[in-house]
Amino acid sequence: MKEITLAYLLAIDLLLYSILFVYVFRRKKLIGIQLGMNISQVMGGVAALLAGIVFILLFPFHFTLITIISAAIGVAAGAAFGLLFDYQTCLAGLTNGFIVGLMAPMLGSVLDMPGQLIWFIHGLFLFCILFIVISIQRS
Amino acid sequence: MFTLLLSGWSGIGLYRVYHLLRKKRLLFDDHFTLVICMSITMLASFLFSMYTILLFPDLYAASLLLGIWIGWKFGALLRTPAQLTGLYNGAMGGAMGTMFGAVLQNPALCRIPVESAAAVDLYSIPFVAACFYSCVLLSIRHSLRL
Repeated sequence: MKEITLAYLLAIDLLLYSILFVYVFRRKKLIGIQLGMNISQVMGGVAALLAGIVFILLFPFHFTLITIISAAIGVAAGAAFGLLFDYQTCLAGLTNGFIVGLMAPMLGSVLDMPGQLIWFIHGLFLFCILFIVISIQRS
Repeated sequence: MFTLLLSGWSGIGLYRVYHLLRKKRLLFDDHFTLVICMSITMLASFLFSMYTILLFPDLYAASLLLGIWIGWKFGALLRTPAQLTGLYNGAMGGAMGTMFGAVLQNPALCRIPVESAAAVDLYSIPFVAACFYSCVLLSIRHSLRL
């Protein structure tokens, strides 16, 4: 039951990511260079954090492989959001996603009660999405 | 031995980028300076403090100081406001690299199950990190040409 819940959460995250990507893609002419850099860094970091913690709880016996995969996911998310704006923005998002992706499986395997942290991180993710949407509409 | 080779490779790459940036440091605007300083300092201090921990397992303070020193050098190379960014990111990367190297050497710190503790080897994650680092260095050299 637990694994099924985690898999559903991953699917919901992927869906939210694609919705936000399409939203940012349609408004990328309105977004300045500073906000673009913040969006790319935040999205790369949060993607790596979610992927690392959820994958290490799903498959606790493959630490090395999970670390590499979550770093790759962070790099891909940071680069995808950064390439909407600028080359340098892409570089910043890529680096941040890589560092957070190397750290996240370590955090996930230390956890005692993983349920609370998973809900906390998903709350953080929704909060970040809300802030990004508000700041895009204000700019 | 393998770690020594990897650190030599990364060190040569870092030195070449340092000289290239030093030659062209008058050409940058503020945004570019910030991005270069942030990305290269964080990755380089992470990698070098990880190598230091893997080579000399007792020198915790030295690896942290190495990260801060890399950040200080790159920040001082570019501009004064960038020095703060470089120092902060260097300290951050140094602390993370120290933690990561300690976990790689002793996986029981992180409560990885005993059956898979043998699967955590010392070489694959540093190798992937070094490959990614050289890709980032290449893209920085490419972005100087844009």
